Amino acid sequence: MDRYDVAVVGGGLLGCATAHHLARAGSSVVLLEKDQLNRHASGQNAGSLHFQLEYRMVADGTDAAARAARALPLHLDAQRAWAGLAAELAEPVGVAQHGGLMLAETPDELDRLGRKAALERRYGLDVTVRTGAELRALAPYLSDTVLGAAYAPAEGKANPRLVTLAYARSATRAGATIHTGTRLVGLTHAAGGWRLTLDDGRVLAATAVVIAAGVWTAEVAAMADIRLPVIPVALSMTVTAPAPPLLPHLIQHVGRRLSMKQSGDGNVLIGGGWPAKFRTRAGHIDLDAAPDLRYESLAGNADAARVVPAVLRLPVLRCWSGATTLTPDQLPVLGEIPRRPGLFAATGGSAFTLGPTYARLLAETMLSGAPSLPIGEYSPARFGFLNFV
Amino acid sequence: MAVVGAGPAGLAAATVLADHGARVLVVDEQHRPGGQIYRQPPATFTARGAPAGTAIPAGRRLLAAAAEAPLRWWPGTVAWGVFGAGAGLDDFAAAPTAPGAAAPAAPGAATPGVPGAAPPAVPGDATPGVPDAGGAVPRVHGAGPDGRAVDPAEPLAPRRLRLATHGPAGTRLVHPRLLLLTAGAYDLPVPFPGWTLPGVLTAGGVQVFVKAQRLVPGRRFVLAGAHPLVLVVAAQLLAAGAEVAEVALAVRRPALAAALRALPAAAGNAGKLAEGARALAALRRARVPVRFGTMVTAALPGADGTLGAVRLVELAADGTPVPGTGREVEADVLALGYGFVPSTELARQAGCATRYDPAGGGWVIEHDRWQRASLPGVYVAGEITGVAGAEQAAAEGRLAGLGALTELGLLAPAAADRLARPVRRELRRRGRLAGLLAGTFVAPDATLAAVRTDDTVLCRCEEVTVGTVRSALRDHPHLRTANAVKLVTRAGMGMCQGRSCQPALCALVAAETGQDVAAVGSYTARPPVKPIPLAALSDPD
Repeated sequence: MDRYDVAVVGGGLLGCATAHHLARAGSSVVLLEKDQLNRHASGQNAGSLHFQLEYRMVADGTDAAARAARALPLHLDAQRAWAGLAAELAEPVGVAQHGGLMLAETPDELDRLGRKAALERRYGLDVTVRTGAELRALAPYLSDTVLGAAYAPAEGKANPRLVTLAYARSATRAGATIHTGTRLVGLTHAAGGWRLTLDDGRVLAATAVVIAAGVWTAEVAAMADIRLPVIPVALSMTVTAPAPPLLPHLIQHVGRRLSMKQSGDGNVLIGGGWPAKFRTRAGHIDLDAAPDLRYESLAGNADAARVVPAVLRLPVLRCWSGATTLTPDQLPVLGEIPRRPGLFAATGGSAFTLGPTYARLLAETMLSGAPSLPIGEYSPARFGFLNFV
Repeated sequence: MAVVGAGPAGLAAATVLADHGARVLVVDEQHRPGGQIYRQPPATFTARGAPAGTAIPAGRRLLAAAAEAPLRWWPGTVAWGVFGAGAGLDDFAAAPTAPGAAAPAAPGAATPGVPGAAPPAVPGDATPGVPDAGGAVPRVHGAGPDGRAVDPAEPLAPRRLRLATHGPAGTRLVHPRLLLLTAGAYDLPVPFPGWTLPGVLTAGGVQVFVKAQRLVPGRRFVLAGAHPLVLVVAAQLLAAGAEVAEVALAVRRPALAAALRALPAAAGNAGKLAEGARALAALRRARVPVRFGTMVTAALPGADGTLGAVRLVELAADGTPVPGTGREVEADVLALGYGFVPSTELARQAGCATRYDPAGGGWVIEHDRWQRASLPGVYVAGEITGVAGAEQAAAEGRLAGLGALTELGLLAPAAADRLARPVRRELRRRGRLAGLLAGTFVAPDATLAAVRTDDTVLCRCEEVTVGTVRSALRDHPHLRTANAVKLVTRAGMGMCQGRSCQPALCALVAAETGQDVAAVGSYTARPPVKPIPLAALSDPD
């Protein structure tokens, strides 16, 4: 039986990044991925680096927004983490931080935008509301219907096709072992650590285990008899044919679902939370099947793009679905699971944007017990009431 | 029922359906029915002579029968997505408003004034008494033609199957009770050095110029490949007055001779092979060099940067090049015919189960004996179930029509069985011929792969080379599937949605990773399967 210091379950951004940090610090690490690396949410999201609160975090009123804002210290950390990532991994990961705009088209939305920016500024985020000529000078491509925008200069994009694989390569260089195409089917506590059983019959031992399994987080936690309230949500995205540079910023909307940016390859990516439908098998949601696209979401997704009229003229190449993981309070789950020593989890929140930060903080916690930012606020312990053993 | 495709399979099915009282909508990308094989020139052409599509008796019969049938007809329209076909949750947004109420997004009552709309030969939207294809009958759970109940574990919500189209009338959403997909096939793209030069075309593409546009797209042609189509197209070019410098078939003469000798055993009308033999005779009479066991290894640019010459080499019995036999032939057009790839993208996007069938052209759609795909309400016929020619496609279309009629309650199962009997007999006969063809016209895959260099473009939309894919696989040793390689290299992410590069990329990934090509999988098919303007998507009528 192979023994490791740490077994990481999941080959997405978080898993590969955690393996990178731990392996570089000298831990022996094995990463287990049931499919291909970067095959699910990490490779399917549109690569937004949004440090402002997202639409879904501010859509349900002031209290909900104030609660979601408790993740802002992580957003501030992530701004720096992404800026230094290409150097850290010694390869390009498509990071461009040319600023992001969250738009308002009605006086009420503009009002909400102002309150949101004030809340974010209290946490130290650089964000200001621009209107009128100042906004037109900043973003002349916007439709006349846009009344104002919250501008966060550090926002931008990264290339989700490249980031996870770059972390995986770095982890491998540092000595981590990666197994793909093999699924964890058993996770039991054993003397001095954990015993992991794979679907090909292999059994591994690890002192600590990191659940970096995205929408499968609850399924993996349940193997250790732990209930985590992490909710898979199926989403759809749209990409246009490549076009000459027309959209330097990340675009979001305070009043509806929209995230839009132009990739380094010239394609415009449009998302922002338009739902897809999970498939079912024998009546149950099947997380392994790509969610079905809903026509209404494709139409809504495309319609949301009209705030940048030039985009409407581009051909749509592809719409696709993916799934992300949300928590009931919209805060991340990040840290060690109570009563399961050595079992760690991270998911939820703005998980692509915050992935490098989650990974570093988890690794620091595991290595020294002292992360460089306090993470108690995001501990799975807040859901301890769901677990009696 | 909505039928996608107006080739042999779609026309045969639509005719059977309409003859038994089904309300049928036919959606086709072309402006006139016939598909690739029975392609017709535009209705406005006044050139003398029989339209090419109707020169073949079987095609003439199909087109005439379809012209008689009361079909609703949307020409020049791409079917770009199927929604709500997969087992899953209710699509609340797509729920019907009230029984009997017209669904808001159902096809309009008529589309008068559609430019390039139905030719006179086919009744169009103006046909009196043809109700909307969408109708107002909710989709009900029920039994299929041979009593197979729809899986009760995955009940269908009423009317959740939807077909999205884009054409002269804009973007439309159709709510058919049943859907038949007959998207046909396209020329297998085979990358080799120089294959992206202007002047290098597929044999099928050249045939479109000649048959539909009455145009000879060049002066001096070389035709090459491994499919009898190159002989047929060469003869058509000759008849149209073109200079054919050479026809080079990778198939060696003894294999072809054996196939021709076995022809009577295949019985019935022998389709492509007989057509190839007739074409071969015509080329011989015109003293066009037809060389067997000969393969293209490179297309070379002329002074103007377009195709100037073609490099050819002789193949030994084991399919490897014979050293010292390389030579160059001047040409301004090289037409390539290595076979066909089933156009499965819409069926795969819908969620239909697939199977890897090398003899059928690669990934094909699975179906049962009534041509039902794995999804309730979705039927498939023709080349997307495995490339086997026009006659087989028409037979499958008839079966699909009969099966669907029982599901629609318009035909008793016993009657469907009786009507299907001669069709099934014909399919059995054709199965033997298809096996013969598949065994004879085999592309020398290993040799074709060997002529590719690291500089050879694999994905022409995104300009991804063989070398880029190889180095991605070296850099990321964990990547083993078509989708994973697509994501990291962008191969298959361009305008053609991967139709062009998928076969060669999958073969390359299989070879480099030591896997069977089926294990590499295919690119996930996504809507829109052909590009549509974003504005059209945001503002359906």
